[in-house]
Amino acid sequence: MPAESPERERLDADVLIVGAGPAGLACALHLANLIRNHNESGAKPELSAENIYVLEKAREAGAHQLSGAVLDPRGLAELVPDFEKHAPLDSPVTDDAAYFLTRARAWKFPVTPAPLRNRGNYVVSLNRLVKWMAGLVEQAGVNLFTQFAGAAMLYVGDAVVGVRGEDKGLDKDGKPKENFAPGYELRAKVTVLAEGPRGSLTKELVSRLGLDGLNPQAYAIGIKELWEVPPGRIAAGSVAHTLGWPLDSSQHGGGWIYGMRDNRVSIGLVASLEYHDPRFDPHEAFQRYKTHPRLRRVLEGGTLVRFGAKTIPEGGWYSMPRPYADGVLLIGDSASFLNGQRLKGIHLAIKSGMLAAETILEALRSGDASARALSSFSEKVGASWIKPELWRVRNFHQGFQHGLYAGLFNTGMQMITGGRGLVDPMRMRPGYEEYRKIAPGEPAPARFTGDGELTFDRLTDVYHSGTRHEEDQPCHLHVADTNICADRCATEYGNPCQYFCPAAVYEMVREGNGQRLKINASNCVHCKTCDIADPYQIITWVPPEGGGGPNYEGM
Amino acid sequence: MNILVVTEQHSGAWNKTSFEALAAGQQIAAETNGRLAALVIGKGVAALGDELAGAKLDEVFLVEHDLLEAYAPDGFTIALAQAIAEAKPDLILFPHTYQVRDFAPQLAASLGKGMIGDCVGYRLEHGRLIFVRQMFQGRTAADIGFEGAGPWFASLQAGAFRGDKVAQGAARAPVKKIAVNLDAAQIRSKPEAPFQETKQAVDLTQAPVLVAVGRGIKAPENIPLAAQLAKLLGGELCASRPICDEGWLPMDRQVGSSGQTVAPKLYLALGISGAIQHVVGMKGSRTIVAINKDAHAPIFEVADYGIVGDIFELIPALTKELEKTKA
Repeated sequence: MPAESPERERLDADVLIVGAGPAGLACALHLANLIRNHNESGAKPELSAENIYVLEKAREAGAHQLSGAVLDPRGLAELVPDFEKHAPLDSPVTDDAAYFLTRARAWKFPVTPAPLRNRGNYVVSLNRLVKWMAGLVEQAGVNLFTQFAGAAMLYVGDAVVGVRGEDKGLDKDGKPKENFAPGYELRAKVTVLAEGPRGSLTKELVSRLGLDGLNPQAYAIGIKELWEVPPGRIAAGSVAHTLGWPLDSSQHGGGWIYGMRDNRVSIGLVASLEYHDPRFDPHEAFQRYKTHPRLRRVLEGGTLVRFGAKTIPEGGWYSMPRPYADGVLLIGDSASFLNGQRLKGIHLAIKSGMLAAETILEALRSGDASARALSSFSEKVGASWIKPELWRVRNFHQGFQHGLYAGLFNTGMQMITGGRGLVDPMRMRPGYEEYRKIAPGEPAPARFTGDGELTFDRLTDVYHSGTRHEEDQPCHLHVADTNICADRCATEYGNPCQYFCPAAVYEMVREGNGQRLKINASNCVHCKTCDIADPYQIITWVPPEGGGGPNYEGM
Repeated sequence: MNILVVTEQHSGAWNKTSFEALAAGQQIAAETNGRLAALVIGKGVAALGDELAGAKLDEVFLVEHDLLEAYAPDGFTIALAQAIAEAKPDLILFPHTYQVRDFAPQLAASLGKGMIGDCVGYRLEHGRLIFVRQMFQGRTAADIGFEGAGPWFASLQAGAFRGDKVAQGAARAPVKKIAVNLDAAQIRSKPEAPFQETKQAVDLTQAPVLVAVGRGIKAPENIPLAAQLAKLLGGELCASRPICDEGWLPMDRQVGSSGQTVAPKLYLALGISGAIQHVVGMKGSRTIVAINKDAHAPIFEVADYGIVGDIFELIPALTKELEKTKA
């Protein structure tokens, strides 16, 4: 792989934003607006929104965006004050309920717990919202480059000077094809990483510069299906969250079901990637979730429209990395700006992007983008509504590390102490250290196949994610040592990758007397679960050739 | 409505999907009380034109020229534009072949007209002709109609119509030559000799019978069993993705969403589960026969005939019976 080719073209920008999600686009749009005001006021130096580059690995903005979602409009209202007239909001929330489920029954909470109350919020498709935001960003003159991924950070010493774009047109063996084009060196005064949960550039940067928070970042996998159901099954704007079945009391997570317009239903399950059974299968759990009588009632006779999965950074305040360094800022899910108790991150992503834009304007005006200058981003976050919201729930996720009931108790304690709870900060191990080893000879669970009408196997779901990749390209899932898969992991954990990947990317196939790992890279939905949950931390997800990945239309 | 079906031939041999387009043309002509003509383009194609004259249609056109012997998009575009000016059709139908994909859009654009490509069907709605086209890998279908004056251009997906349903005519249709003017300077590309496929490469879309193997074949050593069956049936061997991923068969034998889309007369699926990704590549097959030991395998939902059984019992049994019939 010609990684050190001297023939790379170089482009210079003022600001480079990696990721066109709600955080990246909010940053770009707000910065473009600030630049316009700056220029109009006659201040110097004169700046241009055209020197803001946004990179997006998907074929079009929004294609890789997935969320439940119930949007708290707070952030969007600041970014686009007349958003209610123009933003593609699906339905205002008309009803919200919380349930505790057992296999056969559903117990409704008599009062919906405060964090799950959603009046004043909107059920939205994040895909549609982001598409709309991208339109505004382009109208503002910002350069949005879709189908381009960031392959590596560019450093001078330990200062970030930009991002190297991916090499395009390499074949399976890493050799140039006819359409080979080496990645550009994109240099910028300030680089903003807005890659979403477990960003690949973010992971490398945080590790190299030691930006980790007190706690390791903690993640859950969210698995979602979008359905079209017969009319009258559920009202648009009806929001329900569930705890309990199919997760057991040692697991943190829950499900959702949201009614949308045009008889569409968003349904999903969130499972924290800290479970103990290494062969727990979140995709299967979600499929079984749909068979609960309450949910079957809504979905029966309907059609699966789309499937998707993504991870959620739910570690909270103490797990957030330091979001600045020389020449770089981290925003949105990449920096874990997410309220794990309310299950909301979009409003925080947007606000973090806006505060980053304000920080960047100062840096462009002063010409100083050092860590010291950019540290004002953290100050701005501390002075904004982000801090009180996240501070209140700073120990929420960690409170559940000993199970559901301890977690509910801890939450209660935290609620009456402004978030302090019994231990502050509550420390936690990384999720991948929570697996229990399997007993020797313990048989592997039978794989779920689905009935093809209400429940589906992985391959059918992958098909409905619209995921496509250029087939002849290097594998974008780097497994440091596949011998570990065949020997140690098979014995100790039974190869959890086969179970935690929702897209059937990882398979253990028989070879001679043993097994080997087979990677079906083109199924990948870019959720990052494997990078997070592999017990030996030998899997590194890197972006495949730009343009590939899921197509989350309507998700 | 005057309908013109543009057929395709290579060195005197038909691309069989031409007959599917002809069948479609006959159906539309019948439903609209229209006239149907067929056209052969190339050099030395009089015999092919005679063959077409036996079908139920009103006229056969021959468009011949030295410069049309080897296919070149400019040559075909210019010649067909002239033929269209003379024949004055309202609707021009093509089979959706690689060659058609190459020149037909250029032809339509040169006349300032639109084209609907890769149609899987049509219908008449209040006298208006609506074509149906698949979108998003076959997950939705779009109804598309033409606006404005013709001629209109449409190409038909392989397998959407049945070539063997071409009706024969009561009388032979007249065969008319259309003279076209072509100058070598007008042809900007230089056609080279057709790419000689290596022994392994195969165009699965031309095989009348396909024998497909999936994971159920278990090992590469068992594939010759299926290959022999394919040979006895006069067909080709193909596979689902896992087999090609393993390298047991080359990628050009893969059928499915990341392989080829096929629509043979007979598709015999051996040990194939029927995941959607494979099914989208073969569901247009005329007859699907599936053998799988899992009674719940999704392949049985698309199969016309299915056997829940062991392919290692059934392949030898089928082979034996076929050999008997050949003897």
